[in-house]
This record gives sequence, C-alpha cells and structure tokens, in this order.
Amino acid sequence: MLAAAVGIGLRSVHVADVIATRPAVAWLEVHAENYMASGGPTLAALGRIRESYPVAIHAVGLSLGSADPLDARHLRRLRALVERIQPALVSDHLSWSSLGGRYVNHLLPLPYTDEALHLVCDHVAQAQNALGRRLLVENPSSYLRFRESPIPEPDFLADVVRRTGCGLLCDVNNVYVSACNLGLDPVAYLDALPVDAIEEFHLAGHSVNDADGVPVLIDDHGARVAPEVWALFAQVLARSGPRPTLIEWDANIPELSVLVDEARRADAVMEAHAVAP
Amino acid sequence: MPSWKRMPSLREVQASFIDALLGSDTAPAAALVDGDGLPPRARLEIYRHHAIDSLTAALQAAYPVVARLVGDGFFRYAAHEFIRAEPPAGPCLFEYGEGFPGFLATFPPGRSLEYLPDVARLEWKLNAAAHADDFVPVDLGRLLGLDPDDAERVTFQLDPSLSLLASPWPIDAIWHANQPEVDPDRTVDLDAGAVHLEIRRVDDNPAFRRLAPPTFAFRRILLTGFPLSDALRAAHAEDHAFDVTDALRALFEENVLGGFRLSPETKASAS
Repeated sequence: MLAAAVGIGLRSVHVADVIATRPAVAWLEVHAENYMASGGPTLAALGRIRESYPVAIHAVGLSLGSADPLDARHLRRLRALVERIQPALVSDHLSWSSLGGRYVNHLLPLPYTDEALHLVCDHVAQAQNALGRRLLVENPSSYLRFRESPIPEPDFLADVVRRTGCGLLCDVNNVYVSACNLGLDPVAYLDALPVDAIEEFHLAGHSVNDADGVPVLIDDHGARVAPEVWALFAQVLARSGPRPTLIEWDANIPELSVLVDEARRADAVMEAHAVAP
Repeated sequence: MPSWKRMPSLREVQASFIDALLGSDTAPAAALVDGDGLPPRARLEIYRHHAIDSLTAALQAAYPVVARLVGDGFFRYAAHEFIRAEPPAGPCLFEYGEGFPGFLATFPPGRSLEYLPDVARLEWKLNAAAHADDFVPVDLGRLLGLDPDDAERVTFQLDPSLSLLASPWPIDAIWHANQPEVDPDRTVDLDAGAVHLEIRRVDDNPAFRRLAPPTFAFRRILLTGFPLSDALRAAHAEDHAFDVTDALRALFEENVLGGFRLSPETKASAS
C-alpha cells in the first residue's frame, strides 16, 4: 500500500542522481517498457533504487484498447518485472497503440462504444489475471473524438471499473488537456468519475500549439503543472481525499531538484485541500 | 471525402487510424473523426506528428553517431522513411531499430556514404550489448577439467553481450571522431583499412576494441556455436602460428567464457 503522498516519475537522466542523493520524495514511478531487458545495468539500477523507495510501475504498452488480443509476450515480461520489483501500483492507459504487429508508440484514442467497452473490459480482466493484482487504468489526453462515440469518457471508465474491479489513475492534466481540446467541462468530467476508484493522481505540464490557427493543448510533460491544473487537482482532492500523486516530466527534463520542488508544491495542495477519509 | 457505408468495427477504425499515421491515406480515418472546429486531418496530424517524432527520438538515441554524420535534416528524413517501412513490432523501444543499418544500405540518398551502414551496425551492437543478459564467467577449476582431446566436440558459451563486426572501413575511428565532445572538423583517413571489432559490455559499459584477424576468426566460429576444432581451423587459415592455449587463456582472463559443453556423448556444462 502506497502512502497518500507525492512521488516523481523517474527518468533515465536522473537515475544516477537519485541513487547518489536520495531526494526526499515519497515514492518513484517508472515506465515498465524501459526496464524489460533481461539483464544489464539499467535493470540493476532499478533494483538498487527499489531498496530505498516504494516504486510504481506505469506501462504504456499493453494496448488495452486494441482490437487485437493482448500481446502475450509483453504481458509475460510485465509480470516478470512486477515479480522482480514488487511495485506498490501497476497501471496502463485507456487507449490503444498497436494493430497487426505495428506498434506506433502513441496512446491512441478509442471510440467509446459498447464494442470497445466489452473489449477493454476483457483486456483489463486478462491483464489483472496474468499479473495477479489490480491494475489502474489512466484517462488519456485527447486531440480528437470519433463521430460515433456515444459513451462519455468518464462513464466509460466508470463502467470498466465496475465490470473489472480495476482502479483509476486520474491524470488531472489529461482531463484539462482533453477538455480544452474537445470543448468539455473539466469539472463536470471529474465529477462524473467514480471518485472512490481513484488510487493515484498524475500531474504534469503541457504546451499550447497552433493547429490551423486554433490553439491545441499538447500533453508533452515538458513544463511545470499549469495553474488551471493545480486548481482542478485541489477540487478533486476535496472529493477523493488524499491519494498517491505523481509529478511527471518527459520533455525538456530539468534538474532533479525542479521535480522535487514541484512534488513539494503538490504536497502542499494535498495538505490544504484533501479531506481525510 | 469518402464515407463508410456502415458503422465500421473497432478493428476497421484502428486499421484506418494506423494507415493515417504510418501510410499516406488519411481519408478513411478522417471520415470517422469529429472535427470540433478543426479539419479532422489536422487532428489526425497531431497524433501522426507525435508518433513519428517519438520514434525518431528512439532511433536518434540508438544511432547518435549516424545522426551526427548525416545531420539532423537527413536523419529525420531517413528515420521517417524507415519508421513507415518498419514500424516497431512491440512497445520496448530499446529493441527498436535493428533493421535501420540494412535500411540505410539501400536508402538511395545515403549511397555516397558507403561506410554509414557499418557505423550503424556498430551502434546497434553497442545498444544490444547494453541490454544483454547478465552472466557469470566460468571458474578456472572447471575449465582445467577440459581434455585437449575433446577439441572436436567442445563448444563454448560466451558472454551474451559479446558480438563481432568486421568492416572494410575504419568504423572505430569514425565512431570516436563523432562523439559529442570531439571537434567536428576532425578528419578520419577512410583508406586506413579494414577493422575487426569485438563489442561487449564491460563493467556495465558497452565498449568495442580491435581484434587481430586470427583471433576474430577464432571467436567468430566459437560464437556461432561450432566446436573448438572448427574455430582453430578458421584461425589457422589466417595465421599458421595461432596458439590454442594462448587463445583459451585470453578468453578466460577476459572473463568471456560462460561455460562449455561436450557433445554429443556427454552433456556437461559449467554454467
């Protein structure tokens, strides 16, 4: 069980620094797919870090929404990593990334239909069986919606939770990015999520791009958390109570101290707004 | 704009989406997308851009010397064409890009840089060495039990991070001259002759060094899994004076040997 405190996403440029300086953060999260080699110093370093910190494993490769069956080899490798690291949490996304043996390394959007709901539920259940533990499913950041997508995303997630018993990883920045890009109300979105299922929050920065003269928010994890996202985080905390929360940074990665500073800020927001359960 | 005659299945939606990202036909996917104030193609383009961008970054991480040799614009173009032709088969990106050297060898804009595919092969082998299995070298007592008369039927297991690469170009010098800290005006004599390289992970760091051609031939045959006698024949073809005792001692002292196996009568293994 992970404490309801703030951790940071561990990226390769910071591994040596974390081992040397042991920064005061509550836990660390790593991307599963970077640690799936069967040997070598990268995996060994994660083992050393695990001796000092609780670790969560965040996967990007299960492709839970793919019309193809789950990749059995990938699931085996994830299970091996989970057995080795004994993480506090394991998560992946409500998205898909591969079809027909082509993997595109992007969290692609789903049409929210009954067909997709059944498929995602089957895949989440299979993954949970294979891993022998509960999986957390993260809400994606979206740049489009399909014409034929009758189920609102938070309702879709609530159904997946109800049918599979999985937990939710609520990425507050993703909620804000998707809401801006698709003209949704982020507060209504968060209100519609089954708050008791939220076992982890993600916070990250985004950038604003121009697409044919229209501003589009890009979830690039390349900046500090935006003020609007801090405000949403405070609002959802008032309903959810304190939860394990992660600062992610994947582009223009700054010094480790900047991530630690951002984590302190998240701690302060949680302290001020979370109602203890 | 083409339209779908009926509501497509999820598989059809995803197939059209992947075609829009990796192929050239965006129309079927665009017809499925709600524009919400933007052309659907512009929304698809956001996904296409980020998919290609992240995979290009993965190739740049595996092939930094190639990237420096050809420059950013050329590299991005080559990567784009490669990604479309050979997208990853799975989500572990440290395994992506093995086909890039072969792609470069047939990529018309790169033909004038004849040494480029071999430089890329060297970079891939360094990348593979970094992620290879850990192993425990054989202990001396076990090795001393080896009977010289068993040369015909003994095969060796070598360090799984070890690989070999021969090139008619001085790719080791090219690699060293194109490290980030090196003066970009430094030159390499391309007529310096062929090289025989051994790539390995030593003390957690992937590294390479030159081998003498007889030693290269000897280790190449052992690495392929053929018996010691075959490796000796290959070495002797390069140098009649090649000494098997010296060669085995070197393998042991360099901690390259993981074990050995006698076949077919006995199945012994040191590992």
